[in-house]
Amino acid sequence: MAGYTSENDERSGGAQGYLTALFVLVSIVVLSLPDGAQQRTAAALRATLLRPFVLVQEGIARARVHAATTEALQARLDSLTAIVANQRTLALENEQLRAAVGLGARMRTAYQPASVLRSGTTGSESSFLLDVGAEQGIHVNAPVITQHGLLGVVREVHPRSATGIDWSHPDFRASAMTLDGSVTGFVEARQRVFGDLERLLLDGVPFHQRLEPGTLIVTSGLGGVFPRGVPIGVVDSEAETRAGWLRSYWLRPAVDPTAATHALVALGPEGQPGAVAAAFGVDTLAAGADSVRAGSAARGARRGPRRGAPGGGPGGEERR
Amino acid sequence: MSRRRMVWAVPALAVLHFVLHVGFSLGAVAPDLLTVALLVAAREVRMGTAAGLGLLFGLLEDAYSVLSFGANAFALTVVGAAGARTRDLFVGDSLLFALSYMFFGTWARQALHWMVVGADVRAPFVQTVLLGAPLEAAYAAVVGAVVLWAFGSSWETVA
Repeated sequence: MAGYTSENDERSGGAQGYLTALFVLVSIVVLSLPDGAQQRTAAALRATLLRPFVLVQEGIARARVHAATTEALQARLDSLTAIVANQRTLALENEQLRAAVGLGARMRTAYQPASVLRSGTTGSESSFLLDVGAEQGIHVNAPVITQHGLLGVVREVHPRSATGIDWSHPDFRASAMTLDGSVTGFVEARQRVFGDLERLLLDGVPFHQRLEPGTLIVTSGLGGVFPRGVPIGVVDSEAETRAGWLRSYWLRPAVDPTAATHALVALGPEGQPGAVAAAFGVDTLAAGADSVRAGSAARGARRGPRRGAPGGGPGGEERR
Repeated sequence: MSRRRMVWAVPALAVLHFVLHVGFSLGAVAPDLLTVALLVAAREVRMGTAAGLGLLFGLLEDAYSVLSFGANAFALTVVGAAGARTRDLFVGDSLLFALSYMFFGTWARQALHWMVVGADVRAPFVQTVLLGAPLEAAYAAVVGAVVLWAFGSSWETVA
C-alpha cells in the first residue's frame, strides 16, 4: 500500500475523537429508530441517491422478460387458453350450484402485475422490491405470487414502489393445506445450514394424518392474507414427530425466489377494497327481521292514528 | 495511493458496488467494494471523516434492508473509524499488509453486522461469521489489493 500522511496530530486528535463518537452515536440512533422512521429513511434513499441503480435493475429485468422467446410465450398462451376453455363450463356449473343453495357470487381476487427487483446488498437477503405501489392499489400484507406459486408478501408500501419478503425470510408464515383440504398446517421458513438449500417446514399436522412425498401443499386462505389454493411447495420428507401429537414435514418450495423477475400482487376482492358483500347471498335472518318489522308497522297502521302511524299504509289498503 | 487518486477511487468503487449489487443483482458473486472503498479511504483521511463516510455508506446499504435497518450503518461507521486508527498502530506498505488489512476489515464488518442485526433475522454464528464472512473477506482482500495496484500503489516488499 502506498505511503500515507497521518493527519491525526495532537490538536485535531481530540476533535476527531468527538466527531467519531458522534457518528457512532448517530449510527446507534439510526439502528434504534422506530420502524416507521426507518422505512421513511430507506424509501427516501432509494428514491434519491440509489434511484439510478434501481432504474438499471428495472431495465435489466424488463430486458430479461422481453428476451423470453416468442415460442415459449406462445406455448404458455396456448396452455392458458386450453385451461380457460375447459373451466368455462365449470364456472357456469359452479354459479348455478351456488345459486341453488343460496350462496352469493364467488369472490374474485384482482391482481396487479409487477417486476420483482432484488438487491444483492448485505442485509437485504430474502427481501425484494416491486415497481408498483399504493398508487396501483398495493397494500401491506398483499400476497405476491408467480406462475409457479407463492413468492412472498408485501411488507412496506410507497406511492410507486413496495418492498416485500419472500418465503425464505424468517418472518414468513402461511396457513397451508393439501389440495383437497383434508390436512392443514402452518408453513414457515427454516434457515439453511451452510451449503444447503433454503426450505420450508409444514408444521402442526395432526399426528394421525400422514403425507406422502410429492403431495402438493397450497395456501388454505385462513387468516385472510393469502388467497386459497396458491401452491407453496411439495412434501419432501418427514421432519419431526412429536409422539402422539403432531407431525412436521420438509417442503420443496414451488418458487425459486432468486429466479423470480415478474409476479402478480393480489389486491384483494375485485371492486371496492374490503367489499365482501358479494360473497354473501340473501341474509335470511335479516330478511326475516325486515318482514317482522314490516308486519309490526302494518299492525300499528291498523290500530289507527292513536299509535302515531299517520296515513293508511299497506294495512289500510288490506282493510279496505 | 495519493489523495487525488483516492478522491476518484472511493466514489468509483462505491458506484461500482451498487451497480453490481443493486443494478445487476449479483449478490455474493460481486465483491464487497463498499467496504474496500471505505478501507482505502480510511488509510488516507482523518478518523472522524472515515467514520462519517462509513455512516453514509452504511445508510445507503441499509436502504434495501427491510428488517435490519441501521446494522450496516453501525458496522461500517466502526470499521471506518478503526481503519483510520490503524495508521497509528500499523505501518506497512507491503502486499501482505494490504491483504491482511482488507481481509480483517471486511471480516470485522461482517461480524459487527451479525452482532447488531436482530436475533430473529440473522443466520447462525458459525455459518455467518466463521464460514461465510472469511470467504467474503478473502474475496474482498484480493479485489482490494488489485484495486490498490490499479490505482498506483506499489508494494515495497512482496510477501
